Amino acid sequence: MHNDESITLAVDLGPLRLKNPVMVASGTFGYGQEYATLVPPERLGAVVVKGISLEPRAGNPPPRIWETCGGMLNSIGLQNVGLRNFLQEKLPWLRPLPVPVVVNLFGNTVEEYGELAAKLNGQDGVNALEINISCPNVKAGGMVFGSDPRMVFRVVSAVRSRTSLPVITKLTPNVTDITITARAAEDAGTDILSLINTVSGMAVDVRNRRPRLANVIGGLSGPAIKPIALRMVWQVVQVAKVPVIGLGGIMTTEDALEFLIVGASAIQVGTANFVNPLVTLEIIAGLETYLRAQGFADIKEVIGTLELSERAAGTF
Amino acid sequence: MSLLLRNAEVLFNDPVSVGLYHMGLRCPEIAARIQPGQFLMVRVLETLDPLLRRPFAVHRVYSNDPPTSFEILYRVVGRGTRILAEVLPRTSLSLLGPLGSGFRPPDQDGFMLMIAGGIGIAPLPFLAETLVESGLRGPYVLWFGGKSAGDLVCVEHFQNLGFAVELATEDGSAGRKGLVTQHLEKWMSRQAERPTMVYSCGPHPMQRQVAELVRQLGVKSQLSMEALMACGVGTCLSCSLRCRPPDRGQDLYYANVCQEGPVLLGEDIVWE
Repeated sequence: MHNDESITLAVDLGPLRLKNPVMVASGTFGYGQEYATLVPPERLGAVVVKGISLEPRAGNPPPRIWETCGGMLNSIGLQNVGLRNFLQEKLPWLRPLPVPVVVNLFGNTVEEYGELAAKLNGQDGVNALEINISCPNVKAGGMVFGSDPRMVFRVVSAVRSRTSLPVITKLTPNVTDITITARAAEDAGTDILSLINTVSGMAVDVRNRRPRLANVIGGLSGPAIKPIALRMVWQVVQVAKVPVIGLGGIMTTEDALEFLIVGASAIQVGTANFVNPLVTLEIIAGLETYLRAQGFADIKEVIGTLELSERAAGTF
Repeated sequence: MSLLLRNAEVLFNDPVSVGLYHMGLRCPEIAARIQPGQFLMVRVLETLDPLLRRPFAVHRVYSNDPPTSFEILYRVVGRGTRILAEVLPRTSLSLLGPLGSGFRPPDQDGFMLMIAGGIGIAPLPFLAETLVESGLRGPYVLWFGGKSAGDLVCVEHFQNLGFAVELATEDGSAGRKGLVTQHLEKWMSRQAERPTMVYSCGPHPMQRQVAELVRQLGVKSQLSMEALMACGVGTCLSCSLRCRPPDRGQDLYYANVCQEGPVLLGEDIVWE
């Protein structure tokens, strides 16, 4: 048995050190303030803010959301306040936080990604960048870039060359082999990979035969996608040299542990925040309980410890 | 304003008409803070399907001092509300709230017109009680429309508060036959004074017509709007409604119904 003091949840993500492996996923936690009275952001491993673009974006027309079995489809279209408003209105509140603040960024062109990275570089209070090349809900950039390994390389290179901050590349699951885009991001110098973004999907209202989302296609998140996410994280950790952040449908401590066991060094919680705003705090406490119950002192003793039979090990 | 996540005890959960239920909830902290027109995100089941919380307006707050309990009124329309209708008294339900910007009092006393379509009646009794209790003398009028007589619940409550109530049903089973908005314009033209404020809640097409009517009359209106939403606190950006941007410019702008609304000024909504 270990007492609380002897349990450590701290993890290293390359150049980024987190006091625990529980982050929030971009677009599900606003700019940190929205849930702050329930979830003090300083208790999280890191805060990842809603994707920022150079100019404000109004987003897609409604309806933008539809609930499906164990999941939700969304097509927000990267609505955001734009870089200038973010720096003036949102960042001052985030700056004093004693945990890393990760800015998710998005551009319409390779050059825009580079320009955003340059403008965020050296901003007091920004501790890492997460490149969004995986949003399925925009016509330019986003998944269009993230599903083409040559574009992944170009975008990540553009960001890498313009910042000294740790760079996270967020991958789309909407590809045949996610290890190819993972490698492309790595070759371009990403420090960390995060996966998965939402899975492309759609739903139809049969009464009027119209799509449920105005944008027709959206991104599926929530517990329905967790097995897909877990499989992809597992595939990527086999080939990646950089640390991996796992996300996709994490609702409970057990879900988080599955990602850590297959080899994710940290996890992000997204849609679950909407259902249970306290979920991140519950997972942090749950990880401690698990470590104690299993006789571990350090979360790193769990990461990447998937037990495979010899036969199973040969099949991947 | 601080956001509360609390378990409330279900006091009762009874049908009031076909497909319409009212549920009493005991949660002193929320009861003491919630304002008319604000809403709660309710987790109808602790499992992950249905996944998301459902938004409900507060129908009435029981006037204990301080208040400890309140009521929601809901129509069974889908999976979430079907499950909610099965919830038994003494069950504990997780509530997130109070959420959103509610109704504001009028700038001055005078003719207060409330308009409700169907389940759009839900937030209005709380508003009506609050306005009357605050000493505003009115006169007060409620226009209430539904598909049939069964939709027209809690009419007596408004009458007891001193409201004149005008009814309309699509099938003619109560009040005038047709939609509220079909009768409202003619009725308005016969009134000696214009409303100081119009408060309205109902289906989108009704709200649009109400907004058009008040625009023609040059009257102020506050419309409680509905939207599909996931978080209720302004992070998911799902519940967007096309509105005039805060700087009153021409840019495309979507308001979050959960934050800037659900009650919006009629003049701020861009109808499309």
